[in-house]
This record gives sequence, C-alpha cells and structure tokens, in this order.
Amino acid sequence: MKILLALSRAVDQMSDWIGRHVIWLIFASVLISAGNAISRKVFSASSNAWLEAQWYLFGAAFMLGAAYTLKENEHIRIDIIYGKWSRRTQHWIDLFGHVVFLLPFAALMAWMLYPYMMDAIRSGQISTNASGLIIWPARAILFAGFVLLVLQALSEAIKKIAMLQGLMDDPHPHQSAAETTLIHVEELTGQSAKDTAK
Amino acid sequence: MMELIAQNFAPIMFASLIAFLLLGYPVAFSLAANGLIFFGIGVWLAPFSEGTITLDWPLLFSMSQRLFGVMSNETLLAIPFFTFMGIVLERSGMAEDLLDTIGQLFGPIRGGLAFAVILVGALLAATTGVVAASVIAMGLISLPIMLRYGYDRRIATGVITASGTLAQIIPPSLVLIVLADQMGVSVGDMYRGALYPALILAGIYMGYVAMIAIFRPHLVPALPPDARTLGGGVTSLLVALAGAGAVGFAAHRAFYDAWGTNADVLGGLLGVVAVYIFALADRGFKLGLLSRLASQVIMVLIPPLALVFLVLGTIFIGLATPTEGGAMGAVGAMLMALAKRRLQMPLLRQALTSTLRLSSFVMFVLIGSRVFALTFYGVNGHIWVEHLLIAVPGGVYGFLTVVNIIIFILGFFIDFFEIAFIIIPLIAPVADKLGIDLIWLGVIIGMNLQTSFLTPPFGFALFYLRSVAARVPYLDRITGKNIEGIKDFRNLRGGCSVYLFASGDDCGCDRLSKDCYALSRRDHRPVHGGDHYSLFATFGRDKFGQLADFGRAQDHTLTAPI
Repeated sequence: MKILLALSRAVDQMSDWIGRHVIWLIFASVLISAGNAISRKVFSASSNAWLEAQWYLFGAAFMLGAAYTLKENEHIRIDIIYGKWSRRTQHWIDLFGHVVFLLPFAALMAWMLYPYMMDAIRSGQISTNASGLIIWPARAILFAGFVLLVLQALSEAIKKIAMLQGLMDDPHPHQSAAETTLIHVEELTGQSAKDTAK
Repeated sequence: MMELIAQNFAPIMFASLIAFLLLGYPVAFSLAANGLIFFGIGVWLAPFSEGTITLDWPLLFSMSQRLFGVMSNETLLAIPFFTFMGIVLERSGMAEDLLDTIGQLFGPIRGGLAFAVILVGALLAATTGVVAASVIAMGLISLPIMLRYGYDRRIATGVITASGTLAQIIPPSLVLIVLADQMGVSVGDMYRGALYPALILAGIYMGYVAMIAIFRPHLVPALPPDARTLGGGVTSLLVALAGAGAVGFAAHRAFYDAWGTNADVLGGLLGVVAVYIFALADRGFKLGLLSRLASQVIMVLIPPLALVFLVLGTIFIGLATPTEGGAMGAVGAMLMALAKRRLQMPLLRQALTSTLRLSSFVMFVLIGSRVFALTFYGVNGHIWVEHLLIAVPGGVYGFLTVVNIIIFILGFFIDFFEIAFIIIPLIAPVADKLGIDLIWLGVIIGMNLQTSFLTPPFGFALFYLRSVAARVPYLDRITGKNIEGIKDFRNLRGGCSVYLFASGDDCGCDRLSKDCYALSRRDHRPVHGGDHYSLFATFGRDKFGQLADFGRAQDHTLTAPI
C-alpha cells in the first residue's frame, strides 16, 4: 500500500503541476481569438492557422486539465441521493465508479486514440483548411489527456482504498451546492460565511 | 426473452442511464460508461433485435473522430471566454460601483432602489453573465439600504434574486450558447431571439415595481434626502443624455445609408462615447457643467455599456462571431479591471483556474454524452423518443407542454449543462419535425432553465442571497423567510405568461411574447435556513467604499456592531 500511495502522490503532483500551467493556454487562447477578430476586421487579414490555434490551445487546456479537475473533485455530480449517504458510502461509490466507469472508459479511449495519433504522425497530415496547422499535435493532446485521466483514476482509486482503510484523510470532502456557494461567497468577500450563518 | 430485451433496448438503456446518474458518480464518466457498457451488450444482442440494433465494433472506432470533433468545436470556445470574462468582472468591483451610483440616481423616487437593482441586474447580465456576482453584490449593497429605509423585505429579496437570474437569459449567457450548439442553430440568432424576451422580462419586473409604488407606496419608500450623498442635479444629467441622444440620432441618420440597420448600434455607440468624453472633459477641466451626480452616473455607466457594445454589439452587427465577441469581452474586462487596478496576478490565476475547471467538466460532460449518443442512436433510441413525443396528445402544444414540464422537473435536480447535452439532442429533431422554430424553442427552454437558478436544491440565487444576507445584520429578526420574496415575482410572471401564451397561437411570428409561459408552472420551495439576523444596520458612504473593495479587502467588518 505504501508503494501505491507513493505512486498516487506522484501522479497527483504531476496533475497538479499540469493543472497549474495549462491555465495559461486558456489565457493565450483568449488573446489570440481577440487578436484574430481585430486583425480580420481592421486589417482584413486572417489566417486559418491562427484560427485553429484558438481551439488547439483550449483543447489542450481542457483535455490536459481533466485529470487535475478530477483530482480536485470538480467534475459535476448529481448529488440528490449521493449527498445523503455517509462519507464512507460515498467513498465506496467513488471507488466503484473509478474502477468500473472511469478506468475502462479512459483506457479504451486512450487505446483507440493511439493508432489515430500515430496515423497522423506518420502521414504528416495537415488540416484541410488552407494553410491550416498540422493535425497530429491535436490528436496527441487527446491521447495524452486520456492517458493522464487513466493515471489520475488509478491514483484516485488508490486514495479511496486508503481512505476506506483509514490510512489517510479526505482531501476533498463532498460539498453540497449550498456549501459550495458559501465558499464562493467567502472567496469573494474574504469573510467566513459559515461563522455568521450558523 | 433475448428478443424482448433486444427490441426494447433503448428504453432499458435510458432507464439504466438514470440509475447510473443517480448513483452520484461524476456525470461525464457515468454517461460514457453507460454508453460503452450498452455498446458491448448491444453488439451481442444485435442478432436478436430484428434490425433495431445497428451496432458493431468498427462503429466504436468512430469515437476518435467524434472526440476530435468535440475538441475542434469553435462555438463552444465561447464557454471559457465568457466564463473568464465574467469572473474577472465579478472581482473588478463594477457591480458595486453601478449599484451605488444608480441607487443614488433613482433613490429619490418611490420604488427607485428596486428599479436600480433591476436595471443594474440587466446590465450586469449583459456583461458578466454570472448570477452569483450580481446577487452577491446586490445582497451586500442594495439589500441593507432597501431594508434600512423600510422596503418590504419580500419585495427587496425578490427583486434581487429575480434580477440576478436575468444573467441566465440575457445574452451572452452560457445557457444560450450551449443550447444553440446542441440544436445546431447559430449562437448569434439565439442571442437575437433571446434579447427581446429577456428585456421584456426585465420590463415586467419594472412594471411590477411601478404598480407597487403606485398602489402600495409604503412597501417601496423613497430614500430620505439625507441619504442622497451625491446630491441632486438630475437636470444636467438629462441634458447630457439628451445631447448623447442627439449625437446618436445624427450619427444614425448619417450612417443609415451605408450601414442599414447596423446604424442603430453605431449611432448608439457614438452618442455614448460623446457623452463620456464630455463628462471626462467636464471633470478634467473643472467646468462644472455637470452636477456631481450626473458626472458620477456617466463615468460609472459608460464602461459597462462600452463592454456590452464590444460583446453584443459586434455580434449583432456581424462584426464578430460569438466566440470572438467573448474573447474581446474578456480582453475588455481585463482592461477595465486593469484600469481599476484590480487585475493582479493572483486574481488572474484564480480566474483562469476557475475557468479551466468549469471548461473541463463541461467539455467532458459533452464527451460523455457523445459516447452515450453513439450507442443510443445505434439502438434507434432517437426513434423511440420521437415516437413517445409525437404520441403526446395535443400536437405542438402537447409536445411543448410535456417537454417543458420534463425540463422543469429535471431543473430541480441537475443543472443545465447535463440537460442541454443529454435531453436537447433528443428533443430538437422532433421539434423540428413538428415545425417548431428551434430558436424559439431554445429561448423557451432557456427561460425555463433560468428558473433552476431560483429553485432548490440548485437554487443558486437563493443560496447566494441567503449567504450574504446572513452576514449583513438587519433591524428585523428575519428568518429564512425573506427568500419568499421570490414568490411575488413568480406569481407575477406566471400570471402574465399564461396570458401571453394563451393569446399567441402562431409559433414562428412573435416568439418574444410567449416564451415566459414556461415560468408559470414552477412552484417554489423556500430555502429554510435557521439564520438569525441580529440588529445594527448602519450603512454609510464609507461602508460602500469598503464594500466596493470586494475581492481583495480582508478587513471590512460587515458583521460588527456599529
């Protein structure tokens, strides 16, 4: 278990590092998109390469950020029933989901995307738009995103087992929508809403 | 037995999807897993199905191409852009400045504060599009003032939550983008379709407040003179506005030949810019032509109006796609925050991180729903849904009623991204077959989904208001009750919309008048909070100043007795 937890920590750190850095791809995408709009209208100059760069960047951000989002427990759930279970039952549901739902799905997608990516690398395929970008990096991003998701799912499953055995604390307890809201308000106002709203 | 299962595969799959989702595991992966598991079973059962199941393993490999399609979807790029823009504005203090100033402007008339809240709510909706931001700002700034000067608390809270949720339906709302994408119509058209209904809704709110001001004046009193810290001077503001109108109209006439209807937007822009430059000059050279109030109103109002033009104006006149509009709005919001010196590194990082998380979960719900759809269509699920919906008695109206009730009930439990990605693709083709204008349907559904922000357990607007109201002390010992204020608005909207729905029978022509009917059928369960509000409510100018610091100030002490 120790080795597994060490592995899980390593994966978490990687996801975290990636999550903290891919946000700048969104920033770049915003600037490029605004730049595209302005250059098209003001200078009547537009380039498919720059247009495609917008979604390349955003695609990279959300694909590579998916593992980070999973780690932060931010993928949305329907919690009308889930929210009523004990934390222990929630752990079991999550463990079940990680192993039965997420791992097979992410692994299958990664397995399917590998030849899809290699195809594009070998043929050096270029986007069908005139002067578009080469295609393989986009496919590589899809592949990488699912590989990261597989790793993060493994890490989450390990952590869930550890939590069920009482070996570690819960880093991201489930929050109901009301709790999430209170935290958001706290962030905005810099005050503890819970203290006053008891 | 096998045959029975194979031939009823779509209903079984759909029922099990509901079970999968209710389990509470993240929606994106539950959807995908449901699709994959049933894909496997479907391939195995296909020989027994007499042709209803058309799945085979090679089909699964088309997922790669579909994933690529999700990633290269340019419409959905607008989601991160508008989200980022909203978060930056949320922390830029714009809402606080607006509420403060517009409240001063309208305060002296009965119901004025409520008008100000609705106006600012609509303006915030057209820029930030974030319900939380509007409701929190209003709850912190306007609510204490309204209650302090004797507003009925149900009206005060009702106005705030209702105005805050306008963000869901006034363009550029994310709801409309996702709906347009899933229905396969243009986002620009969806925005155009939603604009007037949304404005009518805001107008109805105002009409309601006006009626109360006339018939029940004690519920919405005017601000006493000593609360008007910016002084009077409405005349100079009116003169300035008339000047702006004249410039705008002249520009409109000048541009009309060359630009056609786009001259509206351009003329408006010129008028606004002219008055802003005038106000700047007046302030810079101390000409004293404008009163303090007038100058303040113009200075505060123009930047958000410019942002609205930058985003919506450019989209409406076709200068920019909604995605580009979002990007320019995001840049504009950053410039505004920069001008107010609110754009520091931690804020930027935080805004981008929130944007990343939201985009990631939304896009993965979409990916999951694509996997689900691959199987569901392969087992002719869409035909099953179509038969079900067409079998509804009452033709078009029966269909609309059923669809809206379903979406309305779903809105209690799940938020609109799931509804949009799972339900809309099933409904849209049927609606199209029945000859329903998809944009009109989209606006109706948008209005319907908007109410999910007013409805527990996802009644975010209520949560937000409650959490800020709880920290602001009031004179009255109000309990969770104050949230009931929404009831007033619900009843009002319900009544009017039923009338409007009944009076219009042509689906295509005046889509604007009918769309709020969906709102009529939502009952309201108040949020019960055992919140205890203690006394002391003194809010002066300095307090506003501190409140406006929102987002970085750590030291303001709203809860401290004064």
